[in-house]
Amino acid sequence: MSSILSIRNLRGGYSEVDILNGLDLDLAPAEILVVAGTNGAGKSTLAKAVLGLLPRLSGTVSLAGDDITRLPVEARARAGIGYVPQVSNVFPSLSITENLAVVEGVTGQKARIEEMFVLFPALAARRRSRAGSLSGGERQQLAFARALMTRPRVVVLDEPTAALSPALVEESFARIASLAATGAAVLLIEQRARQALAIAHRGAILDGGRVAMSGSAETLLADDRAAALYLGQQH
Amino acid sequence: MISFAELALNGIVSGLVIGLAALAVTLVFGIARFANAATGDVMTLGAYAALSGAGLTGSLVLGGLFGAAAGAVVGLIGYWLVFRKLGGRSSVAALLASIGVAFMIRAVMGVAFGHGQKVFPMPMVRPWRILDIRVHPNDVNLCAVVLVTLAIVFAILHLTPIGRQMRAVADDPSLARVSGISPQKVMMALWALAGAVSGVAGTVVGIKTVVSPEMGWELLLPAFAAAILGGIGHAGGAIVAGIALGIVQEVATPFVGFTYKIALSFVVLLAVLLVRPKGLFGTVAGAR
Ligand SMILES: Nc1ncnc2c1ncn2[C@@H]1O[C@H](COP(=O)(O)OP(=O)(O)O)[C@@H](O)[C@H]1O
Ligand SMILES: [Mg+2]
Repeated sequence: MSSILSIRNLRGGYSEVDILNGLDLDLAPAEILVVAGTNGAGKSTLAKAVLGLLPRLSGTVSLAGDDITRLPVEARARAGIGYVPQVSNVFPSLSITENLAVVEGVTGQKARIEEMFVLFPALAARRRSRAGSLSGGERQQLAFARALMTRPRVVVLDEPTAALSPALVEESFARIASLAATGAAVLLIEQRARQALAIAHRGAILDGGRVAMSGSAETLLADDRAAALYLGQQH
Repeated sequence: MISFAELALNGIVSGLVIGLAALAVTLVFGIARFANAATGDVMTLGAYAALSGAGLTGSLVLGGLFGAAAGAVVGLIGYWLVFRKLGGRSSVAALLASIGVAFMIRAVMGVAFGHGQKVFPMPMVRPWRILDIRVHPNDVNLCAVVLVTLAIVFAILHLTPIGRQMRAVADDPSLARVSGISPQKVMMALWALAGAVSGVAGTVVGIKTVVSPEMGWELLLPAFAAAILGGIGHAGGAIVAGIALGIVQEVATPFVGFTYKIALSFVVLLAVLLVRPKGLFGTVAGAR
């Protein structure tokens, strides 16, 4: 299998304690992979490890076959990993346009910004507004657009629907589904595992800093043990 | 007899200088996240460089550019040798290190230029009388220099890619990195810019008063006070607060006397910290 993102035996954490305990994960090109798990399972920590934000890390992270484990954060971003963090995902004092223009490693910057405005029309109408003045939904669109500026090969989304009102959740999942259609592989961290698996190809469930279960989205949704332990009540 | 209007006018000049120094403080605070106590002594160094530059070239303007360049170079050296290595440590460590850098610069200035006071060779010009207020052409020129410097700094911050990146790092350093922004590049731009601003501020103080190894250190407290009053990390706030502080200091001088006017900064500093810690223009507690 030729993975775009490949994670092998990842261990590490914020201090001496390991949060990730030997984690393996593969992401195929244009695939949506849901990473689920209870609060504190290490989902955000995994995202930080992929981006290079974790203070202590061993194991390997490869992007399209290249080992990027030792690359600094900004170099990984430019190499083609987009990231929408769980919190603080825009620059509040910069305008919408500035939030997009500030991204480094974008070829054809002006045109790319316009492409983002076509993709996210709500942003185009307010391009001079400070990002800090945006609503939750607009802010998330801006965070997506910022992460997509470099035409990333992999996008890591950390609980993108957590801060949204229920009415916006469906819309957000639809947008995520369309990301994969642009060719980017999506690592989608979600608490709303059922809804997320509905738009995903595969899923992995984290427990204690390693992958406890994984499989195709259909398999996981049909699995009684996954349902009982991790996916919560069926709505 | 010196009228209140003239005192206030003087206050605007010294306030603009305090504002420039506060701008240097607030830029470093917003982006490198510590109170840089070496700001005042980089001003001193800028003043001496400007004095030497003016002596060599016979031009005050070129001298001022020397001052700005020297400030930028020392800012970069300080970053490269000291503050870069403290990145990720507590801001107290960086503050203490900056006090050390301040003493070193001051000592070197004392050895290199002596401890006596020096003055810029300024032509004597008769003051203008406008509505019975004496206005010194030199003061007008100095105001113009400060305003042009401010315009350049704001243009860099708001109209250039590196300025945009500096503001992004001030907003959120880790989001900046995941957006591909190199922290080192931004830090070098920051230290060069803050150093150049300090160098210009020192030159203006030197022209307005005298040049001595202690001049910048004495301006540090008003600069900190203005930076905090303006909302720490808020560039425009630093300027407005600096001007306000300068006017208050000058207008109060007849009442409190020359020696105590500096203490006013301290009173303002304490009052702001107690009453409105985020300053006049700050929106969020902490660095922004
Ligand atoms: N910045 C941090 N410093 C120290 N520990 C952290 C930090 N962030 C998270 N942790 C710890 O790491 C563990 C996993 O957290 P996280 O990856 O955020 O979980 P999840 O995103 O799955 O809810 C938790 O025990 C949490 O307390
Ligand atoms: Mg999380």
